[in-house]
Amino acid sequence: MSYLCLENLVKTFNKTEVVKKLNLEIKQGELVSFLGPSGCGKTTTLNMIAGFTEVDEGKIVVDGKPVHLLPPNKREMGMVFQNYALFPHMTVFDNVAYGLKLSKIGKSETQRRVLEALEMVRLSGYEKRYPKELSGGQQQRVSLARALVIKPKLLLLDEPLSNLDAKLRQEMREEIVEIQKNVGITTIFVTHDQEEALAISDRIAVMYEGRIEQADSPVSIYNHPKTDFVSRFIGEVNQIQGKVTEILGTHQSKLNFYGNEQIVAVNAMKNAEMDFFIRPENIQISLVETNDRNIGFKAKVERKMFLGAKTRYILKAQNKHLIADISNVVLNSNLIHEGSSVYAAWKPEHLLPSRNVR
Amino acid sequence: MMQKKRKKTKKQLETWALLLPILVIFIFFFLLPLFFLFITSFKTFDASSGIANEWTIQNYVKFLSDPFYLGIVWRTVKIALLTTIITIVISYPVAFHISKANGRIKNYLTLLVLSPLLISMVIRCYGWSILLSNNGVVNNTLMSLGWIDKPLTLLYTELSVVIGMVHVLFPYMVLSIMGSLERIDPSVIRASQNLGAGPVRTFFSIVLPLTLPGIFAGSVMVFSLSVSSFVTPAILGGPQVKVMSYLAYEQAAVLLNWPYGAAIGFLLIFIATITIIMYSKILVRSEKGVAIQ
Ligand SMILES: Nc1ncnc2c1ncn2[C@@H]1O[C@H](COP(=O)(O)OP(=O)(O)OP(=O)(O)O)[C@@H](O)[C@H]1O
Ligand SMILES: [Mg+2]
Repeated sequence: MSYLCLENLVKTFNKTEVVKKLNLEIKQGELVSFLGPSGCGKTTTLNMIAGFTEVDEGKIVVDGKPVHLLPPNKREMGMVFQNYALFPHMTVFDNVAYGLKLSKIGKSETQRRVLEALEMVRLSGYEKRYPKELSGGQQQRVSLARALVIKPKLLLLDEPLSNLDAKLRQEMREEIVEIQKNVGITTIFVTHDQEEALAISDRIAVMYEGRIEQADSPVSIYNHPKTDFVSRFIGEVNQIQGKVTEILGTHQSKLNFYGNEQIVAVNAMKNAEMDFFIRPENIQISLVETNDRNIGFKAKVERKMFLGAKTRYILKAQNKHLIADISNVVLNSNLIHEGSSVYAAWKPEHLLPSRNVR
Repeated sequence: MMQKKRKKTKKQLETWALLLPILVIFIFFFLLPLFFLFITSFKTFDASSGIANEWTIQNYVKFLSDPFYLGIVWRTVKIALLTTIITIVISYPVAFHISKANGRIKNYLTLLVLSPLLISMVIRCYGWSILLSNNGVVNNTLMSLGWIDKPLTLLYTELSVVIGMVHVLFPYMVLSIMGSLERIDPSVIRASQNLGAGPVRTFFSIVLPLTLPGIFAGSVMVFSLSVSSFVTPAILGGPQVKVMSYLAYEQAAVLLNWPYGAAIGFLLIFIATITIIMYSKILVRSEKGVAIQ
């Protein structure tokens, strides 16, 4: 039974549909990321869930109850904003206590829960400070404590880390996941940083132009993208073409890539041209010809970039460019120079078929 | 090192050069006359030459020990305070709505609010005196409706002065409050709603405290402009509703008692300053977190 249901959500701004019949179900305790390019409707969807933006069509159901007609102050959702949105005229304590004071629990209970929440975000002792006396990371922690202290039904985070520097961002995201798991709160995390989404999510909902393209675990999203958009958007891909030379059976075809033949598990028609994606880290290169199954073809190294743990090679084969990322542990990058001739290869199972029908 | 220093001095020089014109105006046409006025207020009065060459504090003593004059001080402050409070009350909703409006409508509304400033002070005051006089529009309307039998005394009262003053000064308050309303981050309002606060609660806990700096800045402007205003009380209050600026004018320009006029002028500045300082103290105490920028 899903805890949050978004059913056919539609939002139109000035006659343009920004969210187009969006559907998503989230289980209790799950952390789901909304990931997508700028302007794809992530914030709009989140604002509809929180109640800041009216729903034009569709339903939002939380724990079996429709909430899309309630005002934001009746929805019991905790939101963490990109720019923290702390109340500048209140101390850290008063910021966190704000929601509790409205719920009319006793003074001592309020105090206890505020201190507990601040301890959870590791800010004990900061109660009397004002927001402007805190660093960005600390402000975001206060904001998190303020949202969680009211025990909301959902935790909504809209790019909560994008105003922090890279190092702190990584620390904070781990902290957020830890707190989220401890509290067990159902969470939606909006981001356009795919690494962030891959690292923290139970599931990622990849959004594109107002729709959810695919909602799956990070591993599935990365290894089994369902649409071309997802293939291109998550991680990096090379786009390659193969020509079908022989049909070997259902889901078994022989294709020709760069003059070499390889058996791939796809349905095809004879002589058809097919598009595939392959990730840079799934391309292997060697100085000598490799075994038959991982077909090797000749390529020239055009450029070489040392990236620390790996080296990126820009290869050219039959006038097409390919990017290959090779771990420096596997292959000593000193052996290969710009201009060298190498053999490139991949395993057929690493080919991601394109849905783009020609 | 040397170069850096030279660069710095050059920069400072540029800053001062840019400030020079306004500085000259400020010093020669404001500070210096004020200084002479201050000196004058400690001189005795001489019927033939105006300012005699003897020092005295009699001007101040005379003013501060006379109940009549103290009454005028109280009236001046009272009118200015009333004007300030009324402008706050009527300007806040206006500012609130304008800051919510968008694009072109906002520009038109702002222009509309500023329109009283486009008309000459004197003309506007005479306009009000036509409206408020014994057989003016207001009285005639009320009488023809049968709500009153004989005309109400509206003109030449403290009320008419306050009305005229509010009309001139409320644009300052609206602009000032609008400025601070627009500086509020919309996500702060959303955060408040998100935490369970309805519109009323959000207004009193978040919006109002965050606009106190704007209210304060507007109040300072409105108060100091109204406490020292001359034209409006002169036309809408007349000799019946004397205020300090009118008194100073009367002493200096009509009775030619320059030293006494100067002393009144200085007391006016002093009272305005004290009131503003006290006001800011109260405001800061009531909202410790909001800096009065
Ligand atoms: N209040 C509004 N009025 C009109 N158009 C809007 C409004 N809010 C958002 N839009 C439009 O809706 C689209 C989606 O906006 P949204 O803020 O949801 O994108 P997003 O996915 O959050 O992007 P980002 O990653 O840049 O934050 C954009 O094209 C935006 O211009
Ligand atoms: Mg956004």
